[in-house]
Amino acid sequence: MIEIIGLSKQYASIQALDNINLKIDRGEFVFLVGPSGAGKSTLIKLLVCEERPTSGKIIVADRNIVKLSLKELPYYRRKVGVVFQDFKLLPQKTVWENVAFALEVCDVSQAEINDKVPKILDLVGMLKRRANLPHELSGGERQRVSIARALIHHPKILIADEPTGNLDPVNAWEIVDLLERINRMGTTVIFATHNKSIVDRLKRRVILMKNGKVVSDRVKGGYAI
Amino acid sequence: MKWESSYRIIKLGLTNFWRNRWLSFAATLIMTLTLLIISTFVILTLVIGKPTTSIRDRMDISVYFQDSASIEQIVGLQRQIAARADVKEVKYISTEEALEKFKTQQQGKKVADLINPEENPLPRSLEIKAMVAEELDTINQFISQNQFQPIIHNISYQDNKKIIERLIAITSFIKEVGWLMSGVFVLISILVIMNTLRLTIFTRKDEIEIMRLVGASDAFVRLPFVIEGLLYGILATFLAIGLVW
Repeated sequence: MIEIIGLSKQYASIQALDNINLKIDRGEFVFLVGPSGAGKSTLIKLLVCEERPTSGKIIVADRNIVKLSLKELPYYRRKVGVVFQDFKLLPQKTVWENVAFALEVCDVSQAEINDKVPKILDLVGMLKRRANLPHELSGGERQRVSIARALIHHPKILIADEPTGNLDPVNAWEIVDLLERINRMGTTVIFATHNKSIVDRLKRRVILMKNGKVVSDRVKGGYAI
Repeated sequence: MKWESSYRIIKLGLTNFWRNRWLSFAATLIMTLTLLIISTFVILTLVIGKPTTSIRDRMDISVYFQDSASIEQIVGLQRQIAARADVKEVKYISTEEALEKFKTQQQGKKVADLINPEENPLPRSLEIKAMVAEELDTINQFISQNQFQPIIHNISYQDNKKIIERLIAITSFIKEVGWLMSGVFVLISILVIMNTLRLTIFTRKDEIEIMRLVGASDAFVRLPFVIEGLLYGILATFLAIGLVW
């Protein structure tokens, strides 16, 4: 599914990523851990094509996304869902509108929007609160909405960058549970986190990064720095 | 692109315009001002330019004679002038005709009664019309020759010439100032509109980021701003038309 070959990223004088080599299979659930500044966020930025690497390849579904043209980029982004620590919801739009917005700006018809949005809101358990504005929701609920938005294009890959970073433990576990469920439905999930207890409990593959390098890559690992 | 998308893009553009209405208002106003200034100068040059050319076309030379000049001398000059290829018409105006003309021009005013046929101070003259206004200059040179000077009292061309040259100078001055002012204001409105759009882009940074993240097509990211810009232009045009009217 995803193959990273000799990936490096240099910012001015900082080597953010140093010769990363990784392979992630279809349907995997992978934790990406490591201290701040280890290169997790850079790696995610490169995976969603927000930035281009200094050297190396990222092969997603047999295509080197490093070489994607600006025209192809939007279509690639629809295949990859992203969730952030700060949710990135539009404050003046309701739950429904926030999710529908992702479809509206991608040439999707109103009929299709009316069909898709309730299904995805139901999946994340937010259908009842569809008319609420983000500031009326708890952190966990906001993250569910942002996950719904990330899933609306039925992406093959879901990348979550510290999705539980702003949440209390109960809400955090609910989000983890939701991501696991999404993974069971066949979506590859890449989960970047600092949360030791989540990593330890789930017993999934753990990729540990430090100073821009992959330090360890263990199947069914725990959190160890 | 589907029509639904066009509708959404236009709506986004209108929303932007409304959300930053004070900024939009300022940008529209500056653009209106620019259009007003450009059209004012265009109108001014037209208004001043038109009489200049019509005066030029109607212009003639009047040669006023000394009272001492004999009829033979005057007729001799008239023949010589009439023989020129660039002269359209030479007309002799006697003192009586001059008086009549004076009376019709000054009709109803007191000056009209100041002169009576018994004591007529008006000089005899020749009215010369050229084929083309530009040739008046050479005709004037011909008449100004020394040999005719003893009989000629005054040639009107010199006076008219000054007025016309001044008119032309004023028109070209206004044109130059017009170009300069229009240029400056075009520049100002470009800068103001650029700044306004940059601010709109800045205030919508999050929305644009999310759009890119969810794979919005380029049209959705860019066209709303184009529409916003168009809106400034259209509104400003209507405002300027309304004000010029």
